[in-house]
Amino acid sequence: MSDTQAGTSPYRIYWITWAILLVITVAMLAAEEFHMPRWFLLVFLLVFMMVKAVMIAGNFMHLRYEKRNLGIMVGLGILVTSLILYGFVSRESAHVLQQTIR
Amino acid sequence: MHDGGQAAVMEAHWGGGAAPFGATWQKTMMWIFIVTDALLFSGLLCGYAFLRQAAIQPWPKQSEVFSIPFIALMTFILITSSMTMGSAVTAARLGDHKKARTMLAITIFGGLCFLGCQAYEWSHLIHEGARLTGALPGSTLAAEGVPPVFTQAFFVLTGFHGSHVLSGLIILIVTLVRWSMRKTPSQGVEMAGLYWHFVDLVWVFIFTLFYLL
Repeated sequence: MSDTQAGTSPYRIYWITWAILLVITVAMLAAEEFHMPRWFLLVFLLVFMMVKAVMIAGNFMHLRYEKRNLGIMVGLGILVTSLILYGFVSRESAHVLQQTIR
Repeated sequence: MHDGGQAAVMEAHWGGGAAPFGATWQKTMMWIFIVTDALLFSGLLCGYAFLRQAAIQPWPKQSEVFSIPFIALMTFILITSSMTMGSAVTAARLGDHKKARTMLAITIFGGLCFLGCQAYEWSHLIHEGARLTGALPGSTLAAEGVPPVFTQAFFVLTGFHGSHVLSGLIILIVTLVRWSMRKTPSQGVEMAGLYWHFVDLVWVFIFTLFYLL
């Protein structure tokens, strides 16, 4: 692990990650208070949600120290499958809503 | 590294072989399990998206149904327990037996606090009339116009996550006992840690997509 170099506490990365995650969480909660456009809030929350997920997987789960193909299998596998599933679900929900309104 | 060596490394990492991910079989299997479990939550969250997007009734404002500061406290507890779990894994790797034990114990305490908060949130909402089938007629939630799909999504998402927290806690308690008896190697702590961080990871998505958006 790169953070076990001489002079650096091996636990430092966890404290830093923890602090950043807390700051992001507070920012996400505070964002609701600023009456910003809905689309902006949506993008803001989704982007920071992904940043938090990457930080947990990379620093807490040590994925950044693993071989790249493990990270690709995990990250890309879950992301692509979820997006495909959401694509189908989204189309279907719009169809169902239209049918219900009629 | 010359071309032949580079090719050999690429072959070992991408072409299968004994250790295609450069990790032990325990870690590889744990990651495969995490991917499958993540896909379960992906399916549940997509199901929630379907219910919400197809709902004819307006979706209630979460801050009017839940206490968002309380949910933020739950998030704080889980993030903190993830940090102490990471410290436990590193301490175990470095052979610091006492620190690993202490950090594991703090992580378990955090997990118990989170479960306690969730139990409180569930009982509070059930008291207000929330049921798996929807809000009870005449209840506070029904008066607020909470649609049935809202309570369904709530119980299913937080219920599945809570059951993962519970199983994570059991794994952590077993790991703590075995680690204290020096019956598990540092890799045992690392595997328990991977699962615990995954539970935290799932909460990040539930917190944002269900409580904030």
